[in-house]
Amino acid sequence: MLRGARLSYPTPSGDIAILKGIDLTVAAGETVAVTGPSGSGKSSLIAVMAGLESPTGGSTEILGMDMTTASEQDRTHLRRRDIGVVFQSYHLVPTMTALQNVSLPLVLAGIQDAEDRASRILDRMGLSHRLTHRPAALSGGEQQRVAIARAFVAEPRFVLADEPTGNLDQETGDVIAEAIFALTRDSGAAMVLVTHDRDLAARCDRTVAIDAGRIAG
Amino acid sequence: MPAGLRDNMTAMGNRITGFRVLRELLAAELAAGIVGLRLFMACVVMAMFVLGSVWMLGAGLSRALAGSGTAILGGDIAVSTVNAPLGENSLRDLQDIGPVSRIVEMRTSATVGEVRASVELKAVDNAYPLYGTLRLSDGAKAESLFTDQNGLPGALVEPAFLSRFSAGTGDIIRIGDVDFRIRGTLLTEPDRLSAGRFMVGPRVLIGLPQLEDTGLLGFGSLVDYRYRIRLADGTGVADAMAAIRALNPEGGWEIETPQDAGDRVRRTVDRTTTFLGVAGVVALAVGLAGAWAAASVWIARRARTIALYRLSGATPAIVVSLHAVIIAAAACLAITAGLGLAGFVATVMMDTVAARLQLMWSPAALVLPALQVTAILAVGIAGASIATLSGAARLSPGAAMRSGDAPLAPAPRYLLTGAAVMGMAIVFAIFTLPFPALAAAAGFGLGAAAGILGLCGWALARIAARGQAPGFIALVARPGLSMPGAVATKAVAIGLGIAGVTAIIAAQNSLEQALKAELPDRIPDVILMDVQPSQVDRITARIETDPALSDLQSSPFMRAIILSVNDVPAEAALKRQNKSWVIEGDRSFAWAAEPTGAELLAGEWWDADYDGPPLISAEEDVQEAFDLKPGDRITYSVLGRRFTSEVANIRKEYHRTFRPEFLMVASPEPFRNAPHSWVMSLEGGDGTAVDKLIRDLAAEAPNITAIDIRRIVAQVTEVIEGAVLASLAIAATLLVAGALSVTAVFAADVDARRREALAFVLIGASRREVALARLIEAAAIGAVAAVLGGLAGQIGGYWLVSEALHIAWAPGLVSFLLPLTLGVVAALAAGLTGGISALPKGPGAVARQLTA
Repeated sequence: MLRGARLSYPTPSGDIAILKGIDLTVAAGETVAVTGPSGSGKSSLIAVMAGLESPTGGSTEILGMDMTTASEQDRTHLRRRDIGVVFQSYHLVPTMTALQNVSLPLVLAGIQDAEDRASRILDRMGLSHRLTHRPAALSGGEQQRVAIARAFVAEPRFVLADEPTGNLDQETGDVIAEAIFALTRDSGAAMVLVTHDRDLAARCDRTVAIDAGRIAG
Repeated sequence: MPAGLRDNMTAMGNRITGFRVLRELLAAELAAGIVGLRLFMACVVMAMFVLGSVWMLGAGLSRALAGSGTAILGGDIAVSTVNAPLGENSLRDLQDIGPVSRIVEMRTSATVGEVRASVELKAVDNAYPLYGTLRLSDGAKAESLFTDQNGLPGALVEPAFLSRFSAGTGDIIRIGDVDFRIRGTLLTEPDRLSAGRFMVGPRVLIGLPQLEDTGLLGFGSLVDYRYRIRLADGTGVADAMAAIRALNPEGGWEIETPQDAGDRVRRTVDRTTTFLGVAGVVALAVGLAGAWAAASVWIARRARTIALYRLSGATPAIVVSLHAVIIAAAACLAITAGLGLAGFVATVMMDTVAARLQLMWSPAALVLPALQVTAILAVGIAGASIATLSGAARLSPGAAMRSGDAPLAPAPRYLLTGAAVMGMAIVFAIFTLPFPALAAAAGFGLGAAAGILGLCGWALARIAARGQAPGFIALVARPGLSMPGAVATKAVAIGLGIAGVTAIIAAQNSLEQALKAELPDRIPDVILMDVQPSQVDRITARIETDPALSDLQSSPFMRAIILSVNDVPAEAALKRQNKSWVIEGDRSFAWAAEPTGAELLAGEWWDADYDGPPLISAEEDVQEAFDLKPGDRITYSVLGRRFTSEVANIRKEYHRTFRPEFLMVASPEPFRNAPHSWVMSLEGGDGTAVDKLIRDLAAEAPNITAIDIRRIVAQVTEVIEGAVLASLAIAATLLVAGALSVTAVFAADVDARRREALAFVLIGASRREVALARLIEAAAIGAVAAVLGGLAGQIGGYWLVSEALHIAWAPGLVSFLLPLTLGVVAALAAGLTGGISALPKGPGAVARQLTA
């Protein structure tokens, strides 16, 4: 739940305000699409909700944790335990195989059968034949499916997806979108989906428009 | 239009278009600056600075010595005898060959007021110097200063004399039975190096006629008589040598040419240059490796720009040409900066060393080595750039545009070519050194160390790639350790620097231990020279009755020149060139009835009452020079007489003890009654008893020269401390070169590590976990590099110490701790580079990276 959430970055020529008072509440299991023009603050909103950036004003409570006062360690543990993130640029570890990339969140959480569970979700994503391949050997669609598997493997309560189909063709994008919605539905997680794609936004429970760091409608 | 002509015109048009494109891209790139190549430039500057300083200094000194041979010798040809001057007839014969300048040199004691100390006395005639210039502090003419004025003859002294005796111009010095007035200070003595021996005191110059009056040329005093000849124009040195040899076919004269005099000093300079050169070659290898890595990092970071050029129609040839020109421009700037620094250091050092050795030198002497080093660096940089440029040509525009991350994959043949060209530069550097074999051995050792480090890095990567990794930290650390090429490169980059620094520190510690720590236990406090046989018993009794004085050793002290071995002339009989010094001039000689106490390596000592034809005990150096064994015959000249003796035994002296040691010791007859002096050495507790003995002898026996070894040891200690500082300076420059190289190698990973760190943050890894994983990864490489680099350094140091310096191996604890410390520091630095500093930090960092 965000109430008047603000985010600004200091620069040599003064602070730049990115989020200028965002009010947004996402209920458990709800899917919310966030749309808006480039530079409107959508990705920064994702960074704040994922605990990657500390909001500089207002109040931001994610899964019961006040993100304005939480330490970096608390935010890191919340992300590890309960939040999954998917980005347009995949952000996979290039030196690790698909299986290792997906195992990482489980290994971090100290789960013993990490590789078995990672293997199962990759199988569900249609990548059972790509387990030992590194990202450089995978297509864009395959890399994004690995990134999605990594986001969902630890069964998060809250999923954040930033333009997950932005780098992909229509057909592959549809497959990816289907996978995200199916996994969200099956896990019962809430999801905030940043997208320019109206069709994709329409598949969410509701849509929020953002412009110049404020909710536009 | 014929098809062939059309094709040619099309090709020409393409070339012109390509050239225009290249020119425009280049103008834009150079206008934007070459700041991205600063690491590359730092590596080149460092290599150029170290190599240039060493090469210019070495070549400058060699050139100065080559040009000063005549001045060092004091003539076109020189004849020397020991103890007795040439007869009137011989002198007239020499004067028939050309004008002769006569000088006499000896060690003696001088007194100014209450201060008495040893000096190096030199008496010269009016013709001195035949070559070079004797410069005095006030610019006066020397010869007019020696003659009597107000009843006292004059003396010239060097500045060190004034400080040692607390004296000034106008003061009176007593030498032997004569008082001299100090009439001037010597600034330059052109033939100072001609004696080729360690100076036990400051120089005092007097006139030859006045020396006669001092009474020092007594029975058996150790005196060098030198006759320098100026040859008429057109007279060859070889002809003059032949003529002089014909005057004295029995031998016993030492005949030297300017080349001999220059060579004697040059050997020391060349050896020093070679050792410094080894450090220069290490810096070159490390610097070029760093330049290679830095150039690769620069090209890899430009992947997206290169892709844009390619997408805009630039051919691979244009991309390669563009980057080659930019690298060349950066290299030119770096070479110029490095050369400027090296030139400055070499000029300052040349000024200092030339002043110390009293040599003339010209900055023009530095031009050739500067060009040589520039050529070496240019070839090396070309080698370091070939593979990188090949990688730029092969860069996939698609991959770069997709992710901005397109790994460089140079064609294997260009990798090999680049390595071969770099190797050529290093080999060229090695073979321009004065002792290429020595430098080549060092270069080979360096190459072997690099090879072993690389192999072990590769093996570490293979081991890391096996099995399961438990836990996040191991899972993250393992991939970085599982890349054989990258791990091998890092191990070599860290290990080579550690090896170089360890070798120098271990060698320096051994040298320091050998010269400093061992000396106080073994050396006497004072040596008494020119003791007449009639004075020996009285002085022995005086010393033995003083309980504060101890360890008295006495022996006759004579000089001998080795003429032939088993009837083969000495020069032809010489088996080892590095021992040629044993036949260069007169060498220490004594007689003894009883064994001297030195260890016998072969043969037996003669009976105490043996009075037959003289037998010889040869020191190990003489044995090594001629492969001597007991029973061989050696012919030598003593006091102008020629003797042939059978070698009875081979003896091992312990060098650098400051006690009189003799290359040859003969059985007593017929030397016992020949005119000669004795040398005595003793120790004296806290020093007051020694001071009193020196004062007593000055009053009772002024002919005796007391050499205060304590003062010489203090001087030697100063020299050692200077050498230690110089070694540390060399080690420090190698360390900087190594650090630059390591930085360049690890910089290759930084971008990838940043992307990885972001991915870890996104999935909920803490900063501590990421940093720890990277530290473990770097520590594994650091440990391999530290252990192997340290081991290679110890082996290299041992080689330097045993094969080149010929001293005992005493590497010291520091040389063992240093590699470990450097390994830990390098690992920590690398771990932090890839760990904490790769993590996004500060407000907005994550968001900016996510949307980049």
